[in-house]
Amino acid sequence: MDSEEAPAQRPVTLDITVDDVIREAPSPEPTSQVPAKDYLLAQGESIDLGGEFATPQADSSASPLESLMDKLNDQMMESVMISDSPNNSEEEDVAPIDSFLDGDPNEENEGNTKYDTDEQAKCLTITTEIEVSTVQQNEDSEFKGTDETNIQEHFPPCMSSHPDRLSPSSPKCEEPTLEKGTHLKEEPVPVCTIFSQGKHPHSLIPDGFQPTLIKSPSFSLGSGGGTDEAVTPSKLTTPLVCQPSPSLSKFFTDNGQTNPASDFFDSFMAPSSFISVSNPNAEIAPRPKTPKTPIATTPEHQLSSLSFSTLSVPTANSAHVSVPTEFTEKHLPPFAQTVPALSQHLPSAPSSQSQPFNHLQAVFSGSDDAFAKAISLSEVDRRHDAWLPSEEIRKSLISVATQQYGPAYGETNRLTMPGLKFDNLQGDAVKDLMLRFLGEQAAMKRQVLTASSVEQSFVGLQQLISSKNWRAAVDLTGRLLTAHGQGYGKAGQLTSHTTNSLQLWFVRLALLTKLKLFQNAELEFDPFGDLDQLDLFYEFYPTIYPGRQGSMVPFSMRLLHAELPQHLAKPQEALDRLHNLKTVCLTILKNLEKCLAEDGSMSSLTEENTQESLKLWRSRLSRVLYSMANCLLMMKDYVLAVEVYQSIIQYEPQQRVQLLSGIGRIFLQIGDIKTAEVYFRDVEQACQMTDVNPSLTTCVLMNRAFVHLSQNNYAEAHAAFIEVLKLDPKNPVANNNAAVCLLYLGRLKESLGKLEGLVQQDPALYLHESVLFNLTTMYELESSRSTQKKQALLEAVACREGDSFNTQCLKLA
Amino acid sequence: MDVSQTKQEHLLALKVMRLTKPTLFTNLPVTCEDRDLPGALFGELMRDDPSTIKGAETLMLGEMLTLPQNFGNIFLGETFSSYISVHNDSNQVVKDILVKADLQTSSQRLNLSASNSAMTELKPECCIDDVIHHEVKEIGTHILVCAVSYTTQFGEKLYFRKFFKFQVLKPLDVKTKFYNAESDLSSVTDEVFLEAQIQNITTSPMFMEKVSLEPSMMYNVSELNTVTLQDQGVSTFGKMSYLQPMDTRQYLYCLKPKPEYAEKAGVIKGVTVIGKLDIVWKTNLGERGRLQTSQLQRMAPGYGDIRLSMETIPDTVNLEEPFDISCKITNCSERTMDLVLDMCNTSCIHWCGVSGRALGKLSPAASLSLPLTLLSSMQGLQTVYLMKWQVCATHFLWRISNEDDRREQRSSLGSSLGGIILVSGLSHLQVKRSRQRALTNIHPSDGVHQPEQITSAPQRCR
Repeated sequence: MDSEEAPAQRPVTLDITVDDVIREAPSPEPTSQVPAKDYLLAQGESIDLGGEFATPQADSSASPLESLMDKLNDQMMESVMISDSPNNSEEEDVAPIDSFLDGDPNEENEGNTKYDTDEQAKCLTITTEIEVSTVQQNEDSEFKGTDETNIQEHFPPCMSSHPDRLSPSSPKCEEPTLEKGTHLKEEPVPVCTIFSQGKHPHSLIPDGFQPTLIKSPSFSLGSGGGTDEAVTPSKLTTPLVCQPSPSLSKFFTDNGQTNPASDFFDSFMAPSSFISVSNPNAEIAPRPKTPKTPIATTPEHQLSSLSFSTLSVPTANSAHVSVPTEFTEKHLPPFAQTVPALSQHLPSAPSSQSQPFNHLQAVFSGSDDAFAKAISLSEVDRRHDAWLPSEEIRKSLISVATQQYGPAYGETNRLTMPGLKFDNLQGDAVKDLMLRFLGEQAAMKRQVLTASSVEQSFVGLQQLISSKNWRAAVDLTGRLLTAHGQGYGKAGQLTSHTTNSLQLWFVRLALLTKLKLFQNAELEFDPFGDLDQLDLFYEFYPTIYPGRQGSMVPFSMRLLHAELPQHLAKPQEALDRLHNLKTVCLTILKNLEKCLAEDGSMSSLTEENTQESLKLWRSRLSRVLYSMANCLLMMKDYVLAVEVYQSIIQYEPQQRVQLLSGIGRIFLQIGDIKTAEVYFRDVEQACQMTDVNPSLTTCVLMNRAFVHLSQNNYAEAHAAFIEVLKLDPKNPVANNNAAVCLLYLGRLKESLGKLEGLVQQDPALYLHESVLFNLTTMYELESSRSTQKKQALLEAVACREGDSFNTQCLKLA
Repeated sequence: MDVSQTKQEHLLALKVMRLTKPTLFTNLPVTCEDRDLPGALFGELMRDDPSTIKGAETLMLGEMLTLPQNFGNIFLGETFSSYISVHNDSNQVVKDILVKADLQTSSQRLNLSASNSAMTELKPECCIDDVIHHEVKEIGTHILVCAVSYTTQFGEKLYFRKFFKFQVLKPLDVKTKFYNAESDLSSVTDEVFLEAQIQNITTSPMFMEKVSLEPSMMYNVSELNTVTLQDQGVSTFGKMSYLQPMDTRQYLYCLKPKPEYAEKAGVIKGVTVIGKLDIVWKTNLGERGRLQTSQLQRMAPGYGDIRLSMETIPDTVNLEEPFDISCKITNCSERTMDLVLDMCNTSCIHWCGVSGRALGKLSPAASLSLPLTLLSSMQGLQTVYLMKWQVCATHFLWRISNEDDRREQRSSLGSSLGGIILVSGLSHLQVKRSRQRALTNIHPSDGVHQPEQITSAPQRCR
């Protein structure tokens, strides 16, 4: 009797899902020989489409290491897109895989990310070390006094650098799972190969990454091919760069009437104390260069200079601090119960303040426009500065306001103590390249503005920005911040902020981001924490900004802060921060819709003001959504990205066409042409609905061109781009794209001629990195003399572009 | 190839560039508000940048096309396109230029040049352009061999070659699994479910344009990857049909033997060819790839020589009340069989009728319907099963089937002693397991009717 044995066997017998192995089925005649389990079977088999690889070789770019076949020791194709003619064999060894311009979203960038984080880790450690050492160096020679507000005077200067804060968050390696074999989870299964040889694919994957998108161009130095980019973080290791630049130290150690530092200090601080209450932009431009008395140091002075606050609060000169509390006492009881959000006490100040204003206005009845202006400015301030800090901060701010002595002294951990983390970005990659390729004489001709060659003020800063000398502009912000006492090595020291100092920080960090120096930006952002610190709110400075409330940090800076991690391989963190911003925006909008003030307090907002505020906050919300969608796109989370882009349409209906086209392009990128066409049809409908607007028609044509392109129909795509050009002959995108299509049609010379012509005729439009990249690529393909032609481009660039030009697109390195 | 040849000697230069699809330039929006220090500057800078979308500058994905920046990866099934440019670097006219591009794979050598005729002459600074395309059909190392021969103006014949090596990688990992679903009550017509797991093992997202099963001649196929909602077929994979790197997706297909094969249960037997999967995908800007799997083979469920299937069976029966079932016995062997029905009672199930009854001769591929009556004296199984009655029935049938099998063994082996099977007291547990597997292996969410596995395989013991 087999009754005992049978149960053990039977699961197999009855199991309809038995994975079977074909090879083991010996004969098609199952009757007597085939084991019972064959009777009911389900096969799981792995169809190996290609076979297994014996050696991991993910992509061609990884394979230069492998030994080459003897007869193949000529140029290999692996990492080289363009192989060169005999003369240029040097050049072709430089794998272009690190090219900065990466538009290819379909190429995986993990590899690159990994690389970046490694690099980042290295750089961060290095800079941290330096940071500490230089802080110590500066201990003795610490120069203070540039920003002595009364607050700081109460504190002994805090010298301890905070090594903890400086230490970088350890970079995460995000892709450990990639190497896991994933199709081995089933039992050994037979392998059917289409082709005879088999290779195993797993080990390929890690190698397959192409550097893309996230990459910061300044980091390609190590791998790419050594451009002379001046400002790579690795350069920070050189002692010269780490220290305050000689020029700057001089700048501040000299004393005297003609000291440019004090000049500068005046021009910077004086407006800041004044502007802080009125519109900062309104008063900047014409600034007398003559040194002023340092009025900024005493709050009394400041207040007296604030004409309208003196007027509005008659007691301000004598007992300025008590004023808000006075109002508070009067108004608090009714408010305290109902007002949930930001600072229950201070809100009463402006609203109550505005009442006296109204009276005053009535009294003077238009005789003095300054009053009306001042009032509207305070409205604007309130609207723009509104913010919802965390509960803890909110409470602390209230206590600051009620205790009259603002800062809670013990709470240094809730204060930001920023300082420059590096100094002197100066550098001009274009000039460096010129030195290398065109000689010293040519390089001498290159004239760009530097931080020293412009007025040491906001005006100069704007000048540098608009002339695209962003590196110099960063330097200038560094100088201005140094004058404010937040210079190099000052991180971790108590300091105070003003509206303008934070604007400077914003500009500096924004420019670093624009220059793709993300690590540097992160380092300097670090002391600001999550931008939810006591001293980043006006309420913290009741004496300097009496009655003013809300965030001192401009919204744009918060956004920048939120976006930053996505460039540093931490997109999830970026998303978290962006979601926080979104929540705040939504809450404020909700408050406004309930006819409350932005912060949720009872308001006396006029209808007009509420509408203005709604408008502002809606635009901010849509900006945040844009950032989210962009971040998701970088993460290749296309589903969510498309969803978010779509949701923007309701806030920005005028961008409907652009957004729908953008979504369509995302689908094309994925390869889903059908869905893309659906969106493009929507675009066409939207265009038909509106009156014939040429730009919209170009949009439709452009979309068609992209569809043709995706269908491998380059001739039609080219024709469509040409159609666009008939409507809009100067359209740089259509011109460039038409040239690209020509190349795919095998018409290199034509394409090249076209692009060259464009660059010569209209350098303003076509000296763009994408166009130049295409042009240099074609040069390389066309002739062995590409280097000369690239140098000619370099000269063209040198005449027009500022120091922020990304030289990598010239592929000269 | 003469490698040592100094490179300057050649008047012509050969360059090759792989033409993957161009990419869309992305910009990096950094904005500020009018009230901020830069004022309108950032906005102006962005508007002046030709790569931004006018009117929506913060939209990162621009419209500017950029040429491929590196060779990238190439995968089996994709098309390898390449630009071949031969440029006259010299200042003399070169004659009789012949450019040949071959692709050497591990198994063959293909000529990819569009034309094989020689150019009569090439002036200085002029180019010969060629764009080659080749659908990659092999994995592993490929070598593009470009050979250029020409004559100088002094009549010197020169020749050089260049080799470009690249690896073709596997883009997908495909695993398949078959499920046999016996149509429990109707006939011996069997459906086969094929579950195919397709994994993207490339490093970029992949849009699956088409994944279809091309059945072999014996089967009809229906795809079970869409659900009909409001008269519209909606993909079970959601709105976006793309596969992120390392993502796996399961496709389900139902195969039905065509009637001419279905009726004869014996026909589909042993290893059969089911068909092959045809996969078309697209990546960046429509870069296309296509692959077919090899013929998927399936071991048809063996029914031995005798197959027994249920025709009717009540859902619920009352205790101690006789009930009728009918089953169908099919001879799957190639011999005529003489069948005897033995019925063995268990403690809870009792047969009504005569055991040891001869059922008569059954010729190959013929079947026989058999009405039977039985009754249950216990409910023991009910506590274990939801579908107790069916399962009980299965159990009994199973035993019958074993009986049959024994008979069959005797007759077919022609041996009076050898293959006698003692029907063991097969525990309910076994039946239960079978049932569970049958249930758990089919995902109700797939919208598939559940294959019923009523008949079990003959138990074979020595």
